[in-house]
Amino acid sequence: MENEKALKKNKMGMSHAIQRQQNIVSYIFLLPFALFFIGFVLIPMGMGIVTSFFNYKMNAFEFNGLTNYIRLFKDPVFLKSLRNTFVIVITSVPLVAIFSLWVASVIFDKNSTFTSVFRGVFYLPVVMGTVPVVVVWKWIFNAYFGILNYLFKALNLMPQNLRFEWLGNKNTAIWCILAILFTTSIGQPIVLYIAALGNVDKSITEAAEVDGASKLRTFWMVKWPSIMPTTLYIIVITTINSFQCFALIQLLTSGGPSYSTSTVMYYLYEQAFTYYDYGYANSMGVILAIVIAVFSALQFRVMKTDN
Amino acid sequence: MKKFIAILLVALLALTTVFAQGAKETATTAAPATAKTEITWWSFPTFGLDGATEAELIKAFEAANPNITVKLEMIDFTSGPNKLTAAIEGGAAPDVLFDAPGRIIEYGRNGKLVALDGMFTSELKADATSAALLNACSDGTTYWMYPQSSSPFCMSINKEMWEKAGAWQYVNTEGARTWTTENFAKAMEALGKAGYVGLNVYCGGQGGDQGTRALVSNLYSATIANADYTKYTMDSPEGIKGLKLLLDLYKKGAIDAGMGIVAGDELQLYQQEMIASSICWGTSNAKNYKSDAYTQFVIPFPSEDGKPALEYLVNGFCVFNNKNDAKAEAAKKLIAFICDDPTYGPKAVKATGAFPIRASFGNLYEGDAQYELLAEFTKYYGGYYNTMKGFAAMRTQWWNMLQFIFSGDKSVETAVADYAKASNANL
Repeated sequence: MENEKALKKNKMGMSHAIQRQQNIVSYIFLLPFALFFIGFVLIPMGMGIVTSFFNYKMNAFEFNGLTNYIRLFKDPVFLKSLRNTFVIVITSVPLVAIFSLWVASVIFDKNSTFTSVFRGVFYLPVVMGTVPVVVVWKWIFNAYFGILNYLFKALNLMPQNLRFEWLGNKNTAIWCILAILFTTSIGQPIVLYIAALGNVDKSITEAAEVDGASKLRTFWMVKWPSIMPTTLYIIVITTINSFQCFALIQLLTSGGPSYSTSTVMYYLYEQAFTYYDYGYANSMGVILAIVIAVFSALQFRVMKTDN
Repeated sequence: MKKFIAILLVALLALTTVFAQGAKETATTAAPATAKTEITWWSFPTFGLDGATEAELIKAFEAANPNITVKLEMIDFTSGPNKLTAAIEGGAAPDVLFDAPGRIIEYGRNGKLVALDGMFTSELKADATSAALLNACSDGTTYWMYPQSSSPFCMSINKEMWEKAGAWQYVNTEGARTWTTENFAKAMEALGKAGYVGLNVYCGGQGGDQGTRALVSNLYSATIANADYTKYTMDSPEGIKGLKLLLDLYKKGAIDAGMGIVAGDELQLYQQEMIASSICWGTSNAKNYKSDAYTQFVIPFPSEDGKPALEYLVNGFCVFNNKNDAKAEAAKKLIAFICDDPTYGPKAVKATGAFPIRASFGNLYEGDAQYELLAEFTKYYGGYYNTMKGFAAMRTQWWNMLQFIFSGDKSVETAVADYAKASNANL
């Protein structure tokens, strides 16, 4: 009995030591990436938060408390940019999730060549990069020689002598941006959904079908809960990407016409790099970060699973 | 043993990321201790896209100054300004920048540059082709930019298109080809009636906005700023009248308003003969957007009295204050060499396709009829407001104002008043 106790005690002592050693090794492996994360993410983030309370310009750096934040909510361009940002997020996130799920559910169980081709087609805008995608879409939307106007005229949906500026009209510009954002956002979700649907236990779906469940019911009761973690990830990532939509706007519309495509990210950039008002720009960044955090937290809360 | 090797490897990896930065810093701080001074030169592609001219100048300079090494970095007009801002705020600004007064004077005003007053000698002042060009290098009290060359902005029209539309009759083909606003309006209407787009008032962003400012301000001799450059003044009756004329022509279908395009797009449309004129023409655009399919006829902007006040580009250099006197002196030597050397100075100017600041460089484009015409245009240089405080902010307000006007969101009076208020708030 006493020998057993001594062994246990020894064993516990040894596992503590081993555990400690393993922990040290793990942290050492993490160290380079931790340094990178601290140096290039956490510290700049902290600096951004701190300087948002300053009148920080090229030739000024004075503490001004909440002045930047008060100014934000009196700035009509910021409020319009915030509204545009919400429009982009609320429109693009459900559309991207639903469309990606639909495409994935149609193609995931087809033969591998078929699935690969479609996966490649939808993923192409992602790998091409923003600039080539923007150049092509700019041609499509061009008022003088764009194919969109050509098609509309060919279908008699537009007067023949009209040069409609899709990106220069405040009613259509934001929808053009959304269309491009949609095409560049669906690639990754489709790939993820294909993988997730492929991992659903076939025996459960077959059992449901044998029991008389319709395809829709099978999807809703069996597949949907199984792919919920993937859905949560896609929704959170798409939300964050939509909130941070910037390159499309900078390359296509510069926030216009009449600020109809200005978003918080773009206005932040304009304040920093055109007006050199870094403190004010940082305050916008802080607000945006808070909004994204709140949205993400809500999404986790609503969609969390036991997995 | 394996664990030990693993820990050692990871530690080495971590240390290299720290000491790589440390080594760079060591190299930087060690520089002053060596005999050679190394300076960095950031250059916008005014000499050309490939940096060949810069490389040739550096080679010649280093041969004449063996104690100075120049590192060149080419930047573009799209991302370059942001890169400069980030570098300045990050403490990594170059020593020398080749740019234009708009940005340079702003940097100088914000204490980022070395004053170049000592370089503006009586010899330079006597040799300058225009005092206005030297004034463009100062914020009113200090010279921040050393000028090298200048070039007027103007219009270009598609001669064959204008002839077909019956608009050619309104063009003055003699001398400096100055013409009136009245003839401009008639020409645009003729082009519109013939089914052509007279021109495009592009306002989708800041790119090439000097063209739209020149067009609007010249129509009824309005001014972008007052005489002592303390106020933006487009909200004058003349400015409003000019904008109303353009809005009227737009509503008649004679001209277009490109709320989704900038100058680069307008130039492409002109080159592709989709519009009859360009309002963003100059020596470098004439090279880059040349077309042999039609005659690109260069004219100044129209004005009520036939005497335009043209916008112009001034190319020059500045020296960033990187708290290193040796680098600052080396940088001044470099820019003096490029701008003043009797052999390389004219070569550098010719590479920009612009006109020399120094009269002593002579006529670099003898026998070139196009350049002789553009040399005539230099007599019509207007005021240089690009060095005013808040110039960058005014530019943003400008194209937004045009968008509000042409979209009908605001009346001309309201849009201009809002533009003037927002621009002057940044002074």
